[in-house]
Amino acid sequence: MPAREGTYGLLAEFDTPGDLVRAARQAHHDGWRRMDCYTPYPVEEAAEAIGFHRNKVPLVTLIGGLMGAAAMFSMETWISVLAYPLNIGGRPTYSWPAFIVPAYEWTILWAGLSAAFGMLALNRLPALYHPLFNAPNFRSGATTDKFFLCLEALDPKFDLTETRAYLQSFAPVSVVEVEY
Amino acid sequence: MAHDTHAASHARTLPADLGAPAFVDGWRTRAILVGVVFAVIAVLLAFADGSTEHVLRAWVLGLMMSFGFAVGGLALLMVQYVSGGKWGLLLRRPLEAMSRTLPLVFVYWVISAIFMKKLYLWALYPTASDTASALKTGLINEIQAHCLDFKRPMLNPVTYVWVSLLCFAIWAFYTWRLTSLGMRRDSDSPANTPYWIKKLENISGPGIVVYSLTMTAGVIYWVMSMDPTWYSSVYGLLFLVGQGYMVLAFCIIVAISLSKGEPFKTLLRQTEQHDLGKFTFAFVMLNIYLAFAQFLIIWSGNLPEEIPWYLDRIRGHWGIIITLDFIFHWLIPFSMLLSRDIKRNKKRLVRVCQWMIFARAFDLFWLIEPNYKDAARNLHFSWGILEYVAVPVAMVAFWVAFFCTRLKQRPVVQTNDPHLAEILEPEHVHA
Repeated sequence: MPAREGTYGLLAEFDTPGDLVRAARQAHHDGWRRMDCYTPYPVEEAAEAIGFHRNKVPLVTLIGGLMGAAAMFSMETWISVLAYPLNIGGRPTYSWPAFIVPAYEWTILWAGLSAAFGMLALNRLPALYHPLFNAPNFRSGATTDKFFLCLEALDPKFDLTETRAYLQSFAPVSVVEVEY
Repeated sequence: MAHDTHAASHARTLPADLGAPAFVDGWRTRAILVGVVFAVIAVLLAFADGSTEHVLRAWVLGLMMSFGFAVGGLALLMVQYVSGGKWGLLLRRPLEAMSRTLPLVFVYWVISAIFMKKLYLWALYPTASDTASALKTGLINEIQAHCLDFKRPMLNPVTYVWVSLLCFAIWAFYTWRLTSLGMRRDSDSPANTPYWIKKLENISGPGIVVYSLTMTAGVIYWVMSMDPTWYSSVYGLLFLVGQGYMVLAFCIIVAISLSKGEPFKTLLRQTEQHDLGKFTFAFVMLNIYLAFAQFLIIWSGNLPEEIPWYLDRIRGHWGIIITLDFIFHWLIPFSMLLSRDIKRNKKRLVRVCQWMIFARAFDLFWLIEPNYKDAARNLHFSWGILEYVAVPVAMVAFWVAFFCTRLKQRPVVQTNDPHLAEILEPEHVHA
């Protein structure tokens, strides 16, 4: 992304998840869309309050898992039936019960890796820079005990003075302007 | 988060009446009706078939289902006391009601014990001379005769009755102890709650070990010994996990159905429902893991002592049943419970849980029926085989009626519990 200048948004700080969720719900109701919540642990209601929509991680995980299963099962089949057919205790070369366990393990492995890397790819992490870290209270509190709501300047409703007053109406601990 | 004072003011209040809602009586009436109808069907089928053999086999299936709910409920209650957690607050009283249906399970067992000669070869041929003459007339084969004689110290009517009675006595003791202390905990002052938590934990911990052993003995005698030639060291664990599977499914149905009225309407939050769904999912996985592990080991070994048990259950069209069993028992619940939306949707989660209880019964059918000579490697229709529907449905329906009676006898929520305040708070506080 090209470097931007000016205001990234206004950041309201709350002491409790309850206050954050109420404020986020109201802001979404009032028509705000370019907004985000920042909490030290997952608060599902906050995600729902700002209109969290479905993402493609489950689909990526499913495809990864199926690919893992198919890859391992066909590899075992290829090895045992075509490449190195061995008589092991008189069992048929295509002994599918024995193939299940490695195929299952690969399903889990690939599904897990797809979920992790799919998530990173879809949310563009790791990010080297994010303007919110310019706010000192965000740096010190976002991962411990503070709950933040950010209304972003990209939203057409954004206006530096009006939005600040609007956020103040939720009685936050503070409202700070965040620069790019 | 205790510091969320603002949210605490939004907490809901516990209703004054903590008794089971009035519609539980309706459930009981319906269960009795279903029980009577299916009992009549079972009798008609017995006449159509002209024998009571399948009635008794199906009776054992019904016994194992009712036993699983009642004593499996006791086991989950103990697990809950040891592990703690908010889900336990929701399920504790329903689980107590389930475990207090033990007398009915005992009656079911007594009836199966009376007819043991029709169910178990070791009861039919209790002495070495009996097996010898049965072998001579071709009623049993050489392997069966050998196994019957070799295993006689364990598999004989006297030991069977005494071991079963001992198991029932132990389960009754734990049921009585845990359920009466559970009541005393509530009548005590809230300040003493930590003492009660420790006490119930100390009873439950050893209780789980004792339960695993007695339950293993029970299922070996009641189900595994139907085929005296076969043994599996994972058998008890397989039933233990199967019980967790069906008990959790039943508990979710009860909790969600109770939430149509107070006090569960206030108590059952989506978070805890989701947690229970995840817990059930774990049992679905563990169940197939053990079942497949047993199969894989016996298949790899391919030994003449072990493999016939599976061949009896695969050949002669039984392959259809085992394939359906895999789909019903694992594939469907697994795919359904994988979805977050289904776990958080009351109606759909109840549907999945109902399906799981059916699947458990289907799995027991596959375990029980091929033990008998007429059915092994030969799946065929007879009027008698329909008893596997009629008898267990009637037995479980009567069990449900008894469960409803038990549920009505006590408040459905334990009040002296540190989790009560948490569960009344709005959900995002804990998310």
